[in-house]
Amino acid sequence: MADMHKDLIVSAAPHVVSPADTASIMRDVVIALIPALAVSTYVFGFGAIFLTAVCVIACVFFEWAARKILKRENTIGDWSAIVTGVILAFNLPVNIPKWMAVVGCFIAIVVVKQLFGGLGQNFANPAIVGRITLFIGFATPMTNWVITDRMSQAIINYSGPDAVAGATPLAINAAGGQLPSNLEMFLGTINGSMGEVSTVALLIGGIYLVIRKVISPAIPVSFLATVAVLSLVMGFDPIFQLCAGGVMLGAIFMATDYVTSPITTPGRIIFGIGCGVFTMLIRSYASYPEGVSFAILLMNILTPHIDRITRSKLNGVAKGGAKA
Amino acid sequence: MNLSLTAAFYIVLSAIITNNYVLSKFLGICPFLGVSKKLDNAMGMSVAVIIVMVVATAVTWPIQHYLLDPRGIGYMQTIVFILVIAALVQLIEIFLKKYIPGLHKALGIYLPLITTNCAVLGVCVLNIDNEFSFVQSLLNSFGSGVGFMLAMFLFAGVRSKIETNDYPESFKGIASTLVAASITSLCFLGFSGMLEKIFGM
Amino acid sequence: MKKSKLSILTNGIIRENPVLVLVLGTCPTLAISTQAINGIGMGLSVLVVLTCSNIIISALKRIIPDTVRIPCYIVVIATFVTIVQLFLKAYVPALDKALGVYIPLIVVNCIILGRAEAFASKNSVIDSALDGIGMGIGYTLTATVMACIRELLGSGTIFGATVTAGTITPFTIMVMAPGGFFVFGCLIALVNKLTKGRVRAKRQNKCMGCPGAAFCSKVEEGGCEE
Repeated sequence: MADMHKDLIVSAAPHVVSPADTASIMRDVVIALIPALAVSTYVFGFGAIFLTAVCVIACVFFEWAARKILKRENTIGDWSAIVTGVILAFNLPVNIPKWMAVVGCFIAIVVVKQLFGGLGQNFANPAIVGRITLFIGFATPMTNWVITDRMSQAIINYSGPDAVAGATPLAINAAGGQLPSNLEMFLGTINGSMGEVSTVALLIGGIYLVIRKVISPAIPVSFLATVAVLSLVMGFDPIFQLCAGGVMLGAIFMATDYVTSPITTPGRIIFGIGCGVFTMLIRSYASYPEGVSFAILLMNILTPHIDRITRSKLNGVAKGGAKA
Repeated sequence: MNLSLTAAFYIVLSAIITNNYVLSKFLGICPFLGVSKKLDNAMGMSVAVIIVMVVATAVTWPIQHYLLDPRGIGYMQTIVFILVIAALVQLIEIFLKKYIPGLHKALGIYLPLITTNCAVLGVCVLNIDNEFSFVQSLLNSFGSGVGFMLAMFLFAGVRSKIETNDYPESFKGIASTLVAASITSLCFLGFSGMLEKIFGM
Repeated sequence: MKKSKLSILTNGIIRENPVLVLVLGTCPTLAISTQAINGIGMGLSVLVVLTCSNIIISALKRIIPDTVRIPCYIVVIATFVTIVQLFLKAYVPALDKALGVYIPLIVVNCIILGRAEAFASKNSVIDSALDGIGMGIGYTLTATVMACIRELLGSGTIFGATVTAGTITPFTIMVMAPGGFFVFGCLIALVNKLTKGRVRAKRQNKCMGCPGAAFCSKVEEGGCEE
């Protein structure tokens, strides 16, 4: 770092120049998440909004409380805790006991972010770690999927008309049952984690973020392309694999986190491909039906190495070009 | 000693990924926390661990099965194994110094530390406990060593990123390192069951 | 400077707690602290080995040649580990099974080698015994407390007795590997907080916690990392 240009501010990623910039970026992310929340509310009812509200309030509270206890500057104005709250809520089943969701918020905000010094200093995405810890720690409630009458007939039939808990398309696929049509998968009239169901709504949000230059398309495109190609190679339906589970939510909103993904475009492409490969490996072979969050966490951990390799080739160029 | 290629791969890969010595069995935590600050050091230590693990297994397995067990003194395992490991580490050091001085220079400072690396004694004992054959034991030791290296590699990257962080006062130093290790160990859980399915075990 | 017998005994429990202050013996502590009973079992095993080896090493300190002292220490320690191992196998087989490979691994537990080198080789037999007992109690307490926290959060029980299980869903990750690292990190942070950073400053020596610190030539150079 000794050869850094003097006119560049040396700081931890994401090289935010002023809090206002972070806030405007984060606001855009929240706007981009609204279509998905709308579809979720249609599919799951108002429970979706309630869960999102609980997570947002909990995250903002923990952010405020942690900074207060540590006697540090209040950072809830940068909207990052709100984004974490919404994304974490999107990763949970809609009927999860709310205190468990709050535990997840605590892990995301306090353990993953503030213990490491706050936004920009965490090495793993807070919402991802929150989701994984809940998923492993509270295995049963985290895989308790409700069925509503707005959902695809295939989902309702699979579990029987009177069932309160159903199976996600990925689980039905693993069991060899009748799957929802690809159109239903794309629109999102299926069950699963609250915010991950609607591919079309998440795509709209992603396109908005790309147009607003909030995210670079490198990670989502390479992530999704890898999933599609591997599906073809392994003999699965690529459309189904792309629409099912958390791939869209992960690729657009979680893998693109500035702090925990590589700085250069080649690095981002490696990151995206890695996410896709590990997602498909876990989906196809591991005990868990879904591998998106594990894949992204693993790539988060590999990010310093990816940066080390890709940055040496593009020394100086990438550093200043990082998102501000 | 009929060992199919699949079974061999299964032993090696499960020692690396699903049964990772550091991140799931908690063996070799001291060097994992102590020598993972710099990637070069972490890799040097790991190479030394792999070498010592395989050589130690190659020596301790026959000792257990042809020397201790036939005489009914299997319980001498702990004493004999640790002495063998300590002697081996010395021998490897002398050998490297004389014949491969370049490697000795690179690994020299890590070798003495390995005698008390519990992962080395651990793998020798576990090979016996799991009733592995000689070849299986060697594969398991090699896999465990590579697993140690993988954990060191991942964690060295993480630490390079978080080294200059502005931690809360109480979490400065080893406390935050442990929390980082906790998050790192999470991602290994995602692979559970994967190898069993791939290899049809 | 003559230390009182009592201060030698209590030294290991609080001021130089082997796990939380010296950060030694991390591996077994993390591995076995999933159930409170394992914490006690492991703690007592370490206490016995530590005290006995401290006594013997202190008694033999004038006989053991300096150049081969580490192998000698290891033989003494391994002997007592084997005795404890056989005892557990014979009388508490369930505990032996639960602790598994971590019992023979007491041999390479850096607490024991560390105390042999740092204390027993320089002090009288009585003092060394007290040091062993104190350090052993310190280790046992820490391992048990940590195991209680993890068992309560991860299984909803303490010493196998139901506490919150059935009313609150246990957070099972706490008895898995990530929970171990996390609880240990929090306990060390708590010690840092309670001692207002004095302990952390003491821990700055880079070789602290390194398994080879007892006999590594780099200790005097300030560690093997820059």
